[in-house]
This record gives sequence, C-alpha cells and structure tokens, in this order.
Amino acid sequence: MAKVMVKLDGIRKQYGETTALSSLSFQVDQGEKIAVIGPSGAGKTTLLNILARIVEPDEGRLEIDDQPAHRYTGRQFAHKVGVIRQQFDLVGSLPVIHNVLAGRLKDWGFFKSCLSFLWPQERHLAVEALARVGLKDKVYEKTAHLSGGEQQRVALSRLLVQRPELILADEPVSALDPARAHDILAMLVKLVEEEQQTLIATLHTVEYAKTYFDRIIALRDGRLYFDLPASEVTDEQLSQLYHLSELNQYVAAH
Amino acid sequence: MWPLIDFHKKNVLTGLMFLVFLSSLLYIDWGPELIHAGGGTSLWQMVKGMFTPDLSGDILLLALVASWQTLVYAVAGMTLAIIFAFGFGTLASGVLAQGSLGRSGLKTFFRGVLGFMRAIHELVWAWLFVAAFGLTPFAAVFAIAIPYGGILGRIFADMLSDVPPQPIRALQAAGASRLQLLIYGYLPLAAADMTSYTMYRFECAIRSSAIMSFVGLGGLGYQIDLSLHDLKYSEVWTFLYFLIGLVIVVDLWSQVIRKRLVA
Repeated sequence: MAKVMVKLDGIRKQYGETTALSSLSFQVDQGEKIAVIGPSGAGKTTLLNILARIVEPDEGRLEIDDQPAHRYTGRQFAHKVGVIRQQFDLVGSLPVIHNVLAGRLKDWGFFKSCLSFLWPQERHLAVEALARVGLKDKVYEKTAHLSGGEQQRVALSRLLVQRPELILADEPVSALDPARAHDILAMLVKLVEEEQQTLIATLHTVEYAKTYFDRIIALRDGRLYFDLPASEVTDEQLSQLYHLSELNQYVAAH
Repeated sequence: MWPLIDFHKKNVLTGLMFLVFLSSLLYIDWGPELIHAGGGTSLWQMVKGMFTPDLSGDILLLALVASWQTLVYAVAGMTLAIIFAFGFGTLASGVLAQGSLGRSGLKTFFRGVLGFMRAIHELVWAWLFVAAFGLTPFAAVFAIAIPYGGILGRIFADMLSDVPPQPIRALQAAGASRLQLLIYGYLPLAAADMTSYTMYRFECAIRSSAIMSFVGLGGLGYQIDLSLHDLKYSEVWTFLYFLIGLVIVVDLWSQVIRKRLVA
C-alpha cells in the first residue's frame, strides 16, 4: 500500500468574520493526483496555502509524510513540497537558467549559489529539465521575454530540478488560453507520473479536473462538499456545487 | 454645518495663507535700497558673458583639466557611496533578518545610520574634511561619498523592500535561504530601478563635486569662484558650459543604460 503523503485533521481557518475553512479533514496517498474545485471563495487557495505552510491554520493538524508540517525546516520542507502558481512566480529580469536552478538552492550553500550566479553550476540539470518541457533553446533567454505559457513551463522545470515529493499547484493555468492550459496541465501530470510524485491542484475549470486528475475534492463555503474518484463525479453534483453561487453571481451582475 | 466646513477646509486654509502673505507685504521697507542700484550693470555683464564665453586656448585647457578633476571626484565619491549604500541599504531593508523583532531592530539601527549620513549636507562634510585632512582630494571624495551613500542607501532599502512578493515567496518555497533570496530574488528584481536611480544621483554628484570645489579643492567650482572674483564673466561662462556638458553626457549615458535594462 502506498504511504500517506498528506494528512489533514480538523483544519480551520478564519479571516476576521469569514470562515475560509472549517474542520476540514482528508488524507492523500503518495502518487495521487487530486484536483480541488469549488466556486470562488470556497477556500481552495487557503487550503493550498496551508499545505504550503504559507498560511498557519487556526486549528487542526497537518502532517506531511508522517511528520507535523511545522517540524520541517525551510530546506527540509522544500525537499518534501514544491509549489507552482498561476504566474508572476519567476524573476523576470534573470535568464531562464537561473530561474530553473533556483530549484537547487535548497541544497546549495551560499558560496555555490554566488558562484552559480556568475557561472551556472550543475548546468546539465537545468538543460535536461528545460528539454523535458520543450524549452531547450531558451536556456539563456531573459525570462521576461518568454510568453505566459513558456514561463509556466520554466516554473515546471524549476520543480523538476527541485524534485519535491508533493507538488501543490494553485490555479496553474488560470492565466492561459485553453490550448495552452491543456498543454501545461498535460505536461504537469505527465511529469508528476514520471517522477512518481503526488499532485494537489486547485482548478476553476471542472473539465480539466475530470480529464487530468484521478480524485476530485470539492469545497463549498470552506467545507468538504464531496471527495470522489474523478470518474464517479456526476454532472448533477457539479451543477449543484456551483449552482447557488453562480446564481448569486448572475443576480449580482444583472 | 460641520460637513460643509470639512468640505471647504482646504479653501479656508488657502484663504488664510493668502491673507498672511498680503499682511507680510506691509512690513517691507519700499525704499530705493530695495534693489541694488549697480545690480543692473552686473546682470548685463553676466548675460553678455553668456554669449561671449572665453574660448582662448589657456582657458579651454584649464576648463578641460578642471572638468576632469570634477568628474574624477564625482566618480570616486559615487563609487564609495555605492559601496556604503549597498551594504547599509541591504541591512536597512530588513530582507536579511530572520524574525520580525530582529528585522525591526536591524531596520531602525541602519536607517538611523543612513539618516545621519545624509542629514549633513555635502558642503558641510567638505568643510569638516578640509579642516581635518587639509585641501586633499580625499576631502572631496569623502564629502561626496558619505551623504550620497546615505541617500542611495535609503532608496536602495526602500526599493528592496518594495519588490513584488510572489517571486520571493516562490523562491522561499523552493528552499532558498535569506542570502540566496537576496541574490536570486531581491537584487535582480530591484536592479533596474537601483541602477537608474544611481545614474540620476551620479548626475547630482557631478554638480555637487563642482560646487564643493568652491571650498578650494580644485575643479570647475574653484575656477568659477576665481573668475567671479576677477569679474571675468566670459570665463565663468566657459566653465559653466563645461559643467553643463558634463551633466548632459552623464544624462545621455544613463538613458542608454536605462533603455538596455528595460529591454
């Protein structure tokens, strides 16, 4: 049996008056590919930020690979968990190779990182990773000159170099057009499978969730609405999940 | 009633200030001494000098040497200033501190140091250093380096703490330490702004360097001072044109650099 990668127990988070998450509990096995869906404001991003240790939960326990998440040092945690977001995550003024090799910083000392800034170290790692996402010819390009889809692929290469066990993807394709979005998601899932990693992604497009993921966790108003294998999720459940809030949005817009 | 007053409080204040100005006119002694009688002739000579700068070989050579000296002081002073600013500015930005308590302590201390450096004008530093070291180039260089280091350091600190947070958070998530964040995150993100501001300050340093040499340190300001004492306005203008030329050249250079950074 696969080991338990993530274990949430009674996680609660409150922002002033609004409850972002209330007593959320679930478990993720190694190798699972999970899509977190739900209407905006359901708590998807809060959940991901808690998993990434960016946000501290008010209550509850979070275990990553059998250890309380807060026990890890920053560097240890980077070996366990990697994060990819919608955009703006790269340093645009640096060449692509530095943004990719940033995935190695957790293993490099200060001297080696300085040296690498002048003369890229472990260059083959970056070139290999970029080749796997189809950006082999952009190694020394200034990152800001790349298109949105290409920048997301650079972010993927950073994860390839970082090699965490669990990847958290926060709306990884929301800023891209549908063709690009399919591209990036297919690539993300393929790489996760090749590296035998675990993936948790928040998505706002249900279609992507059903195509690329094997388990769907739906949140509504900070609560677990359903947690099912992707193949068992029915259209009716989905329309119910989005129904109320979309109706409200419609009313607000007209 | 109160909301209406609140709404008009700017106008009320403007009106008050205007009244103060009008009443201040009552205290002026509107006699014939108000304007210096001989001033007109001097002014006319100065304007004439503007169109007839002294272009004789001696003066041009002198101006060239003086410009070079002014430029050298400015370059040396700015180089030191950049080093000071980089060190103190990075520390004052707090990006290297670990906890929030350590951060605010570090920030307060180094912001204080930078504040002290720039609170004293470069001309005052020049006088102090001339008194201490005598009329040596060191006096000029340090007189520029210290206040400019203070100004640059303050701006560097602000620029470093204002970088977009997303790339920094992403690097942190990848396991980067504080120093690694500085090299791979903060500095590249702020580099364009920092360079552009440094170039602007370099232009200011040239003007300062010229002015400072009034104290007797040599350079364009010194020559201007000498010629002014002899009432040779055409010479004054030759030196002024050289100063303007220097500033324009630096400005062009900084435009080239800025364009390259933005691209």
